[in-house]
Amino acid sequence: MNSTNRAANRLLILIVGLLLLVVGAAAAAAVLLPTVRDGWEGATGQVTDQVSAWLQQTPLGGTGASWIMPALLVLAVIGIIVLIVFIARQGRGHTGVAVREPTSEHGTTVVESAVAERALQDAIGGRSEFVASHVSTYRVKRTPVLKISVTCRRGVSPADAAAIVDDAVRALDVLLGRPLPALVQISGGFRARVTSTARLQ
Amino acid sequence: MSTTLTTPVADAHPAASGVREPAGAPDGADGLYRRIARRETHSPRSLLAIVLAVLLIVTLAWLGTEIVLALLGAPALLVAPADMFTSAVNLVDAPVGVVAAAGIVVALIGLVLVITAIAPGRRARHLLPTGRTVVVVDNEVIASALARHASLAGNVDPDNATVSVTHRRADVHLTPTSGIPVDQAAVIDHVSRQLDSYRLTPAVTARVRIAENGRIGA
Repeated sequence: MNSTNRAANRLLILIVGLLLLVVGAAAAAAVLLPTVRDGWEGATGQVTDQVSAWLQQTPLGGTGASWIMPALLVLAVIGIIVLIVFIARQGRGHTGVAVREPTSEHGTTVVESAVAERALQDAIGGRSEFVASHVSTYRVKRTPVLKISVTCRRGVSPADAAAIVDDAVRALDVLLGRPLPALVQISGGFRARVTSTARLQ
Repeated sequence: MSTTLTTPVADAHPAASGVREPAGAPDGADGLYRRIARRETHSPRSLLAIVLAVLLIVTLAWLGTEIVLALLGAPALLVAPADMFTSAVNLVDAPVGVVAAAGIVVALIGLVLVITAIAPGRRARHLLPTGRTVVVVDNEVIASALARHASLAGNVDPDNATVSVTHRRADVHLTPTSGIPVDQAAVIDHVSRQLDSYRLTPAVTARVRIAENGRIGA
């Protein structure tokens, strides 16, 4: 429901995974496979010379130091900023507006999502089938979508639970005069397991 | 609150019938509903991504600090950048066992991450069509409801009915009360009819197993 960029999540995991896979496999191959080992040893001196040549060819002003190290530092800082933004972007997408409609040329009618949320909560909250219920509103593809999560008591049929919430949502449609897209999430948490069924012997 | 929601008479349906008219979704919500259904039944991989991002931030911050310290000529925190480079280049001179073991472990972690990134990551949930809304049901709710019906049909205590629901299968396991036989056909029939009435996506088929040894006093 939230606006988490899932492709970005998977891309980050994939990149880190490939990096670890390549580095780990290269290290293991370098010491375990004789041919790779010989190649690695042959290239050692060459690589060291090449890198020290780079460091000498890239002087930073008159300081005598290379600008490669400060450049790496800048890259590290940029990387950290990008990752912090990436973390902060997770799990957002809540909205406080359920309906926004330009009703006349003089103004706009705004229905806050709290109206829909409280009305639904009122209608569902008292039902004995549910241990808990919570209603929130998210923006999906620029459309406000209601999310109704209910926790069922033990043994309650999911079809019945869905029907109860469905009826409440249809009643809300009548109240608001328009249908709002809605998601119903039916779960049975820990509390639902502990709550035993009432039984007459 | 003064306004309460009352069920509109025209839309009233018997809750237990399990059959609902398909109409009722808001106009143009098909694509929206498909996106929501897809996102609700698959893992966002947020937790793993955040953990990796935090680890990367810590590593980058440490590397940055080492670079600054090296530029200032101060002693390194753990390893100076120059030493990192030389030890990486001269990796083959290090003890074979340690490098090989570390390399294989790192490669395996990387492989697991790659698989996690590519695998669909299905959550233990099913979709239940109502038409008006997108309904996702946790597998344990389905299992709990099936357990109730199975225990009623098999005439066993609800605590002696165990049901586990996976992506395509519901395994019902009943332990009968000693001396009272359980009619397996009746249980299968009852549970299957319940499952059919939910019309879950993807469809779930029931399998009923009845323990050979009953339990006394259950």
